[in-house]
Amino acid sequence: MQRIIEEALMVAKKFGVSYADVRVIDRTEEEISTKNGSVDGIKSSSSKGFGIRVIADGAWGFSSSFVLTDEEISRVAEEAVDIAKASAKTKIEDVTLSKIEIYQDRVEEQVKIDPFSVPITKKISILLDADKLMNLQGIILRRGGMYFSKEWKTFASSEGAYLELERVISNAGISAIATDGKDVQTRSYPSSFGGDYQRKGFEFIEEVKLLENAWRIANEAIQLLSAKPCPSGKMDIILESSQLALQIHESCGHPTELDRVLGEEASFAGTSFLTPDKLGKFKYGSDIVNIVADATAPFAIGGFAYDDEGIKAKKIYLVKNGEFVGYLNSRETSKKLRLEPMGAMRAESWNRAPIIRMTSINLEPGDKAFEELVSGIDNGVLMATNKSWSIDQKRLNFQFGTEIGWEIRNGKLQDMVKNPTYSGITYEFWRNCDGIGNKDYYHIWGLPNCGKGEPMQVMQVSHGASYGRFRNVQVGVLR
Amino acid sequence: MMTRDQIQTILKKSVSFSEGDQTEAILYGGKSYLTGFANNHIHRNVGENNYNLSLRVAFGKKIGSASVNDFSDEAIKNTVKRAVEIAKLQEENPSFVSFAKPEEAPEKDFFVEKTAEVTPDMRAEYVKKICDKSKEKGLNANGTFVIDLMQIGVLNSLGISRFCSLTVASLKSVILGDTSSGYSIETSTNVDDISVNSVIEESIGIAEMGKNPIAVEPGKYEVILSPYAFAEFISSLSYLALNARAVEEGTSFLAGNFGKKILGDNITIYDDGLSPETIPMPFDFEGVSKKKVVFFENGVAKDVVYDTLTAYKNGKESTGHSLPQPSSFSPYPMNIIMKGGDLSKDEIISHVEHGLYVHRFWYTNPMDPRRAVIIGMTRDGLFLVENGKITKPVKNMRFTESIITALNNCIELSKEKRVMYDSSSITVPYVRIKDFTFTSITEF
Repeated sequence: MQRIIEEALMVAKKFGVSYADVRVIDRTEEEISTKNGSVDGIKSSSSKGFGIRVIADGAWGFSSSFVLTDEEISRVAEEAVDIAKASAKTKIEDVTLSKIEIYQDRVEEQVKIDPFSVPITKKISILLDADKLMNLQGIILRRGGMYFSKEWKTFASSEGAYLELERVISNAGISAIATDGKDVQTRSYPSSFGGDYQRKGFEFIEEVKLLENAWRIANEAIQLLSAKPCPSGKMDIILESSQLALQIHESCGHPTELDRVLGEEASFAGTSFLTPDKLGKFKYGSDIVNIVADATAPFAIGGFAYDDEGIKAKKIYLVKNGEFVGYLNSRETSKKLRLEPMGAMRAESWNRAPIIRMTSINLEPGDKAFEELVSGIDNGVLMATNKSWSIDQKRLNFQFGTEIGWEIRNGKLQDMVKNPTYSGITYEFWRNCDGIGNKDYYHIWGLPNCGKGEPMQVMQVSHGASYGRFRNVQVGVLR
Repeated sequence: MMTRDQIQTILKKSVSFSEGDQTEAILYGGKSYLTGFANNHIHRNVGENNYNLSLRVAFGKKIGSASVNDFSDEAIKNTVKRAVEIAKLQEENPSFVSFAKPEEAPEKDFFVEKTAEVTPDMRAEYVKKICDKSKEKGLNANGTFVIDLMQIGVLNSLGISRFCSLTVASLKSVILGDTSSGYSIETSTNVDDISVNSVIEESIGIAEMGKNPIAVEPGKYEVILSPYAFAEFISSLSYLALNARAVEEGTSFLAGNFGKKILGDNITIYDDGLSPETIPMPFDFEGVSKKKVVFFENGVAKDVVYDTLTAYKNGKESTGHSLPQPSSFSPYPMNIIMKGGDLSKDEIISHVEHGLYVHRFWYTNPMDPRRAVIIGMTRDGLFLVENGKITKPVKNMRFTESIITALNNCIELSKEKRVMYDSSSITVPYVRIKDFTFTSITEF
């Protein structure tokens, strides 16, 4: 590995770059899916390769390849430099980077049971057991899935960084779809998007408790068919933590990405309403809203030891006591705004250049018991598990739908309701947050499918959340 | 790029290493380059050389699969071994009969040398033209110039042996003003088909027309959707309804409706991988030739796409729409085309007394799959149409609409079509749709 990296950096330097870094990644993945009592698919894949990122003539270039030979390493390094020099033809100013501490380190993932040491038969058996429990009359589609990955990444830079980093991810989730011929309703566990993900070994699968919840969600899917529609109008809502996690993702995570803010994602992902003039001067939420970007969060898939620029994992506040106070940034963007680089540059794999990504964006827990949150509502809805999402490209106007809801009347949970939706303007919504569940309900949810960048990069991020109560929210849209 | 011989050698080797009753090997990949620009300069400029070998092994009705991007003998043998182990651990799949069988099929190739010869400097020149014009107008240019050079080889132990190479060039411009934005994209296998001037003209034109938008009340509007906007709709339709898997799972609204007239006379939508109107592909990831599949003919629901597994299960033949297996998205229509009408875009606009012209939708997501209800936002150009003319720019809105309802409410289609490409291609006209539902408005 060291040979590849030295060769790549040497060739890049020969062509007169002012900066170069190299990432070599070797990743193995396994994905198992079941459907209606049978195995639907098992994918076993491995991928390795390297990517070289350079600054030449004051502009960025990146190239990558799956062929790990001396000849190809030279070709790719030279191509990265050629690409950078072409970029320079349109440059307005030279790329400059914030100074950072340089590390040499090796970090192994703390895993109890290597998921690749567990026989596939055992994994299939758990999923099919859960499938059986969901096999109720009225359920037309039962799905289960597990995903495991293990990778070693070596990062080195022309500044002397040399990092060897291991990463292990485990996932499990189930869902049931019910129909009565007219309506179709879905329930998922522990959340939608394939369930929950953590940086743990196979021990995580037992913690997820699929079997303990399989019958319940299938039964709820059936009950939803005859449930009454969610009411419409302005009312109070409580979001369960996995839905609140997605709310954080869309309305706080994305708009605090500094590349979006500076217009660098305008071509695809969009821009942001949290413009630099608002930093430290904008009331994002109520006083109880504290949102952190915490790459040090244990087991969180948005966490890591070092980011893809070699910055050691940090925890910073994005929103403190309701004030907007921080951005997710890179060495380049932090330099532009004279901010501390906080380490949010991540690449999907060896064949992508890193871009600013969410780490673990967490809403810190509050002090309320669930019963207290409910008892404070005269007329409202409790909503759980995301079903649909929509938000404008500046991350202001959003609308979410959840799989299930329960009416709240006079401080008590009442009937189940179907097709709950709510919508609002980001800062108005968070300013109306007047209760956050305590740490007993707090959970960091792994979200594996955050899409951003061109070429598209799908990133593993995570979000910690408890219950959240929001006042005077527009509820209901589905006709 | 790998040579065709290198690809064939790896495929043959992979199949020969297998002890399975049937073995299938697919090798696909190539080189891909993207020059990204923002704030009137290139800010991201990347290249990639990547291939993937995907293997399936069958023992009776037990199938195992594994993939790798290391093509040394040792790595291939290990990957075959993994696929064999997985197959042996599987329960029998009653739906499986066989991997694809050989068929008479002429060779087709879509590799355009001019596209493959595009250098980083040439990409920068295209981008510079857009940025220079944008700066001249006091605007902010963003976008991408993508060059993809792709190869795919499929070989199986039953005698299938297919190879194709393909080039794609795509130039996109998103122009931002202080209060507006505009969009344009052109895609072709041949880079010479792309007109940087027309991309500049359209994206800057929309951005300039969109300055200082007014707010209008959400509600039902007659709309003219540009092909960019309408392709988003059809893209949702493709995974929600137009494939055998969605029908089988009961989530497609086509289930139980085949042979019935469920849309208007003017709606004919089909998939044709060899049409000159699409970014072509002669066969699928099982080596089966692409068949023309008609989804709706004059409003009548006709068929959906199949891969071998869903075809055998339903007593049909594969239509050549498999993705690399196993896949929870396969089969998938990759070359959707909608029949256009007789009118020009301007004629359609001239027929609208009061409505909205939507240049682009974005972030569309399913809300109620069975009813094909989707939600999304307008972006990069929304305009009020009054008395047959575009009169004022409008602030962006969210729509919540059933695709079925919208297609039933489609009253006019243009002659002119555009091809939109993002791994699969969608070719659609401008459409005029009545009673289209917008549910909220945003601040810009």
